[in-house]
Amino acid sequence: MSPLLEKLRAALGPANVLTGVDLSPFVIEGRTPEVAVFPGSSEDVAAVVQQAAAAGLPIMPWGGGTAAAVGATSARAGLVLGLKRLDRLVEHEPGDLTATVEAGMTFDALQSALRARGQWLSLDPPDGDRATVGGVIAADASGPRRHLYGTVRDLLIGLTVVTADGAIVRGGGKVVKNVAGYDLPKLFVGAYGTLGIVVEATFKLRPLAEEERLLAVTFDRLKDCGAAVRALLASDLLPNAVEIVDAAAGASLGLGAAALLVGFDGLPEQVDAQARELAMLVAPLGGRDVTVLAPATWPRLASLARDALASPAAVMTFSVLPTLVADAMEQGAAAARQRGVGSAWSAHAGVGAVTGALAADREATTVAAVLAEWRAIARAGGGHAALAWAPLAVKALVPVWDDAGPAGRVMQRIKARLDPNNVLNPGRFVAGI
Amino acid sequence: MATLAVDRKSALRRELESIVGRDGVLSDPDELLVYESDGLTLFRALADFVVFPTCAEHVAAVVRLANREALPFVARGAGTGLSGGCLPAEGGLVISMMRMNRVLEVDYDNQVAVVEPGLVNLHLSWAVGPRGFYYAPDPSSQQACTIGGNIANNSGGPHTLKYGVTVNHVLGLEVVLPDGELVWLGGKTRDALGYDLAGVFVGSEGTFGIATKIAVRILKKPQAVKTVLAVFDQIDQASAAVSAIIARGLVPAAVEMIDQLTIQAVEDAFGCGYPRDAAAALLIELDGLRAGMEAQAERIVAACRESGAREVRTAADEAERQLLWKGRKSAFGAYGRVSPAYMVMDGVIPRTKLPYVLGRVNEIVAAHGLRVGNVFHAGDGNLHPNILYDPRKPGEEARVVAAGAEIMKVCAEVGGSISGEHGIGLEKSDFMPFIFSAADLAFMQSLKAAFNPTGLCNPGKVFPTKKSCVEAGPVAYRPHAIEERGLAQRF
Amino acid sequence: MTMAPVIPGPPATSPAPLALHGLSVEGVNQCVHCGLCLASCPTFSELGTEMDSPRGRIFLIKSLAEGRIGLTDSTVAHLDLCLDCRACETVCPAGVPYGRLIEAARAEIERQRPGGAVRRAFRWLNFGLLLGRPRALRAAAVGLRLYQASGLQALVRRSGIARLLPGTLPAWEALLPSLPPAADRAPLPPLTPALGPRRSRVALLTGCVQSIVFGAHNQATARVLARNGCDVLAPAGQGCCGALNAHGGDHARAIEMAKRTIETFEATGADAVIVNTSGCGAHMKGYGALLAGEPAWAERASRFAGTVQDVAEFLAREPLRGPLAPVPMTVTYHDPCHVVHGQKIRRQPRHLLAQVPGLRVVDLPESDWCCGSAGIYNLTQPEMAGRLLRRKVRNIEATRAEAVVTANPGCILQIEAGLRARSLRVPVLHLVEVLDRAYRHA
Repeated sequence: MSPLLEKLRAALGPANVLTGVDLSPFVIEGRTPEVAVFPGSSEDVAAVVQQAAAAGLPIMPWGGGTAAAVGATSARAGLVLGLKRLDRLVEHEPGDLTATVEAGMTFDALQSALRARGQWLSLDPPDGDRATVGGVIAADASGPRRHLYGTVRDLLIGLTVVTADGAIVRGGGKVVKNVAGYDLPKLFVGAYGTLGIVVEATFKLRPLAEEERLLAVTFDRLKDCGAAVRALLASDLLPNAVEIVDAAAGASLGLGAAALLVGFDGLPEQVDAQARELAMLVAPLGGRDVTVLAPATWPRLASLARDALASPAAVMTFSVLPTLVADAMEQGAAAARQRGVGSAWSAHAGVGAVTGALAADREATTVAAVLAEWRAIARAGGGHAALAWAPLAVKALVPVWDDAGPAGRVMQRIKARLDPNNVLNPGRFVAGI
Repeated sequence: MATLAVDRKSALRRELESIVGRDGVLSDPDELLVYESDGLTLFRALADFVVFPTCAEHVAAVVRLANREALPFVARGAGTGLSGGCLPAEGGLVISMMRMNRVLEVDYDNQVAVVEPGLVNLHLSWAVGPRGFYYAPDPSSQQACTIGGNIANNSGGPHTLKYGVTVNHVLGLEVVLPDGELVWLGGKTRDALGYDLAGVFVGSEGTFGIATKIAVRILKKPQAVKTVLAVFDQIDQASAAVSAIIARGLVPAAVEMIDQLTIQAVEDAFGCGYPRDAAAALLIELDGLRAGMEAQAERIVAACRESGAREVRTAADEAERQLLWKGRKSAFGAYGRVSPAYMVMDGVIPRTKLPYVLGRVNEIVAAHGLRVGNVFHAGDGNLHPNILYDPRKPGEEARVVAAGAEIMKVCAEVGGSISGEHGIGLEKSDFMPFIFSAADLAFMQSLKAAFNPTGLCNPGKVFPTKKSCVEAGPVAYRPHAIEERGLAQRF
Repeated sequence: MTMAPVIPGPPATSPAPLALHGLSVEGVNQCVHCGLCLASCPTFSELGTEMDSPRGRIFLIKSLAEGRIGLTDSTVAHLDLCLDCRACETVCPAGVPYGRLIEAARAEIERQRPGGAVRRAFRWLNFGLLLGRPRALRAAAVGLRLYQASGLQALVRRSGIARLLPGTLPAWEALLPSLPPAADRAPLPPLTPALGPRRSRVALLTGCVQSIVFGAHNQATARVLARNGCDVLAPAGQGCCGALNAHGGDHARAIEMAKRTIETFEATGADAVIVNTSGCGAHMKGYGALLAGEPAWAERASRFAGTVQDVAEFLAREPLRGPLAPVPMTVTYHDPCHVVHGQKIRRQPRHLLAQVPGLRVVDLPESDWCCGSAGIYNLTQPEMAGRLLRRKVRNIEATRAEAVVTANPGCILQIEAGLRARSLRVPVLHLVEVLDRAYRHA
């Protein structure tokens, strides 16, 4: 250990190499890493990777730490590779509608820099004040506006990564359309740092809308919300967000019942016209008054179910067909209720992304039993479910990731080729990767 | 290359017939000849067989046979590609997907369709059109090209400015991997489980396997569409108008530029209503809500006028709109009226570099004593200089290739890319070092090896075959490595 | 800069103009291989093989002319399978003159490989005996009428005995039209005078096959033209325009027939030559190119070609003159290939139908897709013709129209046969019959 530490300190400066008690912010699920380092350049990241790999130390890339507990638990915590010093906006050319940014910049910092020039990166992941650009890519984080603007895969056009052997590799480019070579950016989105460490990324941007409005319509039942979503998707309206929340999650917004939340943006006349049409559309479906929510509500939507419970016992995310969202929420809530456990639910309903949070800290076996049922519900809906958060005792009983089937073997082959010594976040990902 | 021994060839034919049926195998040399090129006639290469599977199991069985016999194989759709991507560069099997062309399933509520790869792009929009839906990616060849081919090349089109390219519309794929295993990558739901394999597969130019089913998003047709034609007396004014539109915070569905030479060719072809004397025209389309459409159109018109447009008009009806688009989308073929051959470039540049790069393109082409027509996705910065030439004139083709390389270099120098939608294929593989380092390419090769360890699946594509191309300075034409090996020829 | 080396290989230069059977195929060089034609080709769409696509056939023709390949069985088969529907010309941005190329190729096939016995027999029957000789055709018509009136046809169809007939004869039998009574088969008078203010003086091609089988079309055409102010001449002594000969590769006879047709119609002094059959109209409009090689005829043929008009094209130049009675039914319109692709007439027939009160016209999916008739194609290529016919009938069924309107006797025969095979009672009418009905009931 100590020869490695010496090398790291020499390369990065002692202040950027933490050990001992200084590691407490990086303790995950009770495991303390052996060292945390903060390189200041891509070259330094590459050097650290080479040294850690040579020393046989697993590497955990670290942005804001907001998703550090996501994933299976690996045997050994190893080296935390923090990217907070790579925090520059490298380039923003408004005329090109693109920006290149270092991976350690926080998401909100990037957005405010872009907003100052009338543009934005059309992503709204949770915890944007702490989450970093690199972390958002690695976790494929998104929020309600993904309904219209898509997810990281739709907006990331180029990146620079440090690979498992310490090479600096670029994929994609800085132009909005590019098919030269393989689409490497796709490979790293949602890969949780298992194939390389993102150090820089280029995104395509959008101009800021002149107006944006978030509307809420409450319904008696989730099922009615589902019917309203179906009608909304079949209509000519172009919402930028279509959310369903159950009464528990809606309570935190002061709604008190299951609700449909719909966002519109664009020119003022477009927002007005759509708000009017929405009211007409939901009325015959049992929708009560349409109310306007404060703009400050937006950033809460990405984590509404999780935040609705004081300390959830587990959080699961589902990917299902959009038409099955309301059913999945009702069935999931019923499954929890049967075991005497409360739950809270929210969904990016138009794209079939559902989050369920389990209340009350019951014994792990009860929690695990509910989660197993939830996963079955997701599969019945043509999709899959992942454990976004749970205590170790529950993770021991319920696999974090769903079974990837034969595709899992393809993923394993990719991992084996790109990280043959298994140094990047080993054991944390799908299919045992 | 057709070098198989006669008895081995007939045994192989029998075995292929046992998989796909007697009418599903071509081996007659005259018939194989027709498959020697795709939409780019610069290269040709002969297969030993062309086979026509009708289901995924056929594809898997053919691929397993190819593996057993160590025969290279490559999938082919309509053969409209523009980079030689579906050529059997090392002989072997061409697997034509044209008999797998059904729409298997349409789920209108979830806005997903599952189709076979041989389905013609436009036919999907026709199939879902009566219910008010369409498939957004619209390459100019959409009346003939297949969705499987679009997957291989991650095809774009005019409307990708607003709606994104093929990969943004693909949810999942059933693929036959290069070893013959049949797997689903992604699915019908939006979020992938694990790595985004469907996303990585799209655009892999047929080197990661063969798609046999494709789950794509279908979109509701927009409530309103407005198509604006802006006419300019100087090409720089048209470039400036593109920037002016972006600066006003507008994201049109499409912003296409067409220069004078191209206008005249398409007017000869279809009489679409572009003014023949214009230096350039912009075809700008807005779509979306009826509300606000007028206001946005006014901003577009103002941006064009301020940039010096001599005329800005809106298509009066759907028929006029269709005619304008027909002209735009038929432009490549229409060059056949003014030249016996052309080579289309596919560089992408940052939008703000448009005036500079267009100027450089004209200088380069003129210096080689050639003519160029420009028709391209100006809003995306995706250029399509079409260098016109006559392959029957000795030396002219070599000059075209040299000019093309210089143009690609300019695109790379301004921070762009050498291909926006046509793919690298055979044509641009030696130019990859213009934009990628040795480490970048080595990493991509490792990824390829994860899918295609034997290299039998579409060999000879994407990656450079010569180190010499890394050299700086204008690149003179050199024979491609597969030509030197006598495996393919230019003509 | 340094010039790059020329790559060795097949000759990149081909200085001599490309030709087959003395006919220029230089047009192959206009093809830039873009492939936009592929999905518009019915045979490619059915088979998926590129030798059976326009681009593929152009490539075969080019390779033949360059001597890269010979006229092997497979090449002949792929060229023979072409419908010559020219749908590819409609979509071709490069303007490749596909129809001329395939005709040149067929002339070359005819020269090198005059075909098998059945093929020769049909050619003799069609081209030699019947088409050029109206009296022989009429005699055949009497025999046909007897065959149908005696009930023998019904028996043959019921018994399935037709399937035992050799070669393509079963297809031939299935297509036999119901012959109209003698009154409709009577020749048109030499002049049908205009009604109302006189607009024009036109001559009508009464044709060969259709003057017998579809005499009613000619009579309806003459009446409708007269109602719209035309003196309608029907010159005696006119024969076949030569279209079938040209499409079939019988180039020499096609030229003779063209000359005779030009002479006959020039003598009338009419303002326009009106044609109500698609293949004839498209072919006659191409007389200029056909006779371009004969200095004595070239200009004359071009001038003549400029006077040829399809009946719908002619009528649609002015609003239909009233009064028109309502025709209260739902119809759908099928575009004959050589009207829509050969003559680019798409809007006019629909425009005319829209002027008929009470008539509802619903869109036919793939309306401009060949029905498989294609001259004698349904006889020489019955299998492919049958596939295309079934596709056409499926599309017609989907429209739920009460009748199909089209503008060419070959299509009418073929589509009627297809509907009959599905036991569908949907009549197939010529456009002029619909207009004529509206006039007659007014």
